[in-house]
Amino acid sequence: MGGLSLGEKNFIQGGIAQDLRSDGRKRLTYRPVSVETGVIPQANGSARVRMGATDVISSVKAELGKPSSLQPDKGKVSIYVDCSPTAAPMFEGRGGDELSTDLSVALQCCLLGGKSGAGAGIDLSSLIVVEGKMCWGLYIDCLVISSDGNLLDALGAAIKAALSNTGIPRVLVAAGASGDEQPEVDISDEEFLQFDTSDIPVIVTLTKVGRHYIVDATSEEESQMSSAVSISVNRKGHICGLTKRGGAGLDPSIILDMISVAKHVSEQLINKLDSEIAAAEAGEDDS
Amino acid sequence: MEYVNPEGLRLDGRRPMEMRQIRAEIGAVAKADGSAVFEMGNTKVIAAVYGPREVQNRSQQISDKALVRCEYSMANFSTGDRMRKPKGDRRSTEISLVIRQTMEACIMTHLMPRSQIDIFVQVLQADGGTRSACINAATLALADAGIPLRDLVTSCSAGYLNSTPLLDLNYVEDSAGGPDVTVGFLPKLDKVTLLQMDSKLSIDLFENVMQLAIEGCKAVANYIREILLENTKQLEYRRGL
Repeated sequence: MGGLSLGEKNFIQGGIAQDLRSDGRKRLTYRPVSVETGVIPQANGSARVRMGATDVISSVKAELGKPSSLQPDKGKVSIYVDCSPTAAPMFEGRGGDELSTDLSVALQCCLLGGKSGAGAGIDLSSLIVVEGKMCWGLYIDCLVISSDGNLLDALGAAIKAALSNTGIPRVLVAAGASGDEQPEVDISDEEFLQFDTSDIPVIVTLTKVGRHYIVDATSEEESQMSSAVSISVNRKGHICGLTKRGGAGLDPSIILDMISVAKHVSEQLINKLDSEIAAAEAGEDDS
Repeated sequence: MEYVNPEGLRLDGRRPMEMRQIRAEIGAVAKADGSAVFEMGNTKVIAAVYGPREVQNRSQQISDKALVRCEYSMANFSTGDRMRKPKGDRRSTEISLVIRQTMEACIMTHLMPRSQIDIFVQVLQADGGTRSACINAATLALADAGIPLRDLVTSCSAGYLNSTPLLDLNYVEDSAGGPDVTVGFLPKLDKVTLLQMDSKLSIDLFENVMQLAIEGCKAVANYIREILLENTKQLEYRRGL
């Protein structure tokens, strides 16, 4: 895909100004979202989310480890995003590293809270097995297969769906472990604890093109953006994280307006995602 | 360990000459010029082709042929244990080279001088035979991109365990330490374009195993042709023909 001609740029900007985008959507409408869960059988949980031509896969693997000494009562979660060269030729070799790191950091900031672990969207204390000695570490790996804009929202949705699909094996701790010894554990193959994902936030990215903002931009629309704000909102309407991208400066009142628009849009997105995830899980159980 | 039980069934219930179930889908990546998903049993691979397009690095431009580039990468979650480094390790570099050489031999590069064709293969799930699945996916993706090919390239692997030649090894059978012969085959021209083997095998047995792999390649070729025919019918239908 090459650059856009002047005529195409005017068309995109004009359309957005008139609340009629190139694919017929209104400014605050998402593309149809499709969710499939359980796509990676050897992972503890996985999901594939498609928003238009954007296609991402997320997988969750749980491994036993030692909690950090600063937070002995919390488990560990690490998020890693990889941009596959199938999405764009420029992701070949190390070309995708910058975008991958950018996305990984933005997701960590939105879902995992600050350095102390406070305010995390994911309840880390539910991952503890033996306080101070053993905890579950969740490794969330995402892969961008096809990119048509709005990667952050799609990745956020994929992580939420993958965590809904995650089953953590039940662990029986042998009694009588003392002092510094690693306790003996028996990891059950049969029983799984489903992860509680009702508090996990979704990410809504508002892209400012001209004087208006749109939700779920395609890559053509993103190329015309002046700036974009990604806001992570949870079910209760609380903001869990915020990132601004793009060089243009924004008036603070506009940012506040964007936040309120994002909160409004996030309700629909959360409902849509919940129903899609439930349908996907039901479909997976049937098959 | 017993890879073929006395009744003649393998660990996953197949017969020795039976391939795993194959499934392919064209057009998985909308933004690529050509793309395909190819599954052989539990091995799942996506291939995307970008090109022919202008050469990005002028110094690599060839005046009378197209430049073919290939990159193979595995997803973090593709293997049982989580992989740390998805690309750039030696195995990935070697497989990228193998796929590039195999596809370059069948692309009519002289028809597209001074241009570049990029083939990107991404492994989503690895359960043995990733090399073969990648070549098959790349063939479909190239066909989807409309790039002129001399013939389809199909690939399949075969091995020899418990004194039985086995077709299409999965990961467990592959790691058993027995020989693993990977064959890349041009079905119409009836020529072998890729041949790799590891471990050791006596010469008379080798011919059997290689023939078995070639039969596997022919079966894959039939399936690929069906898929392409179906795809073309769909395109005709959408164009209203």
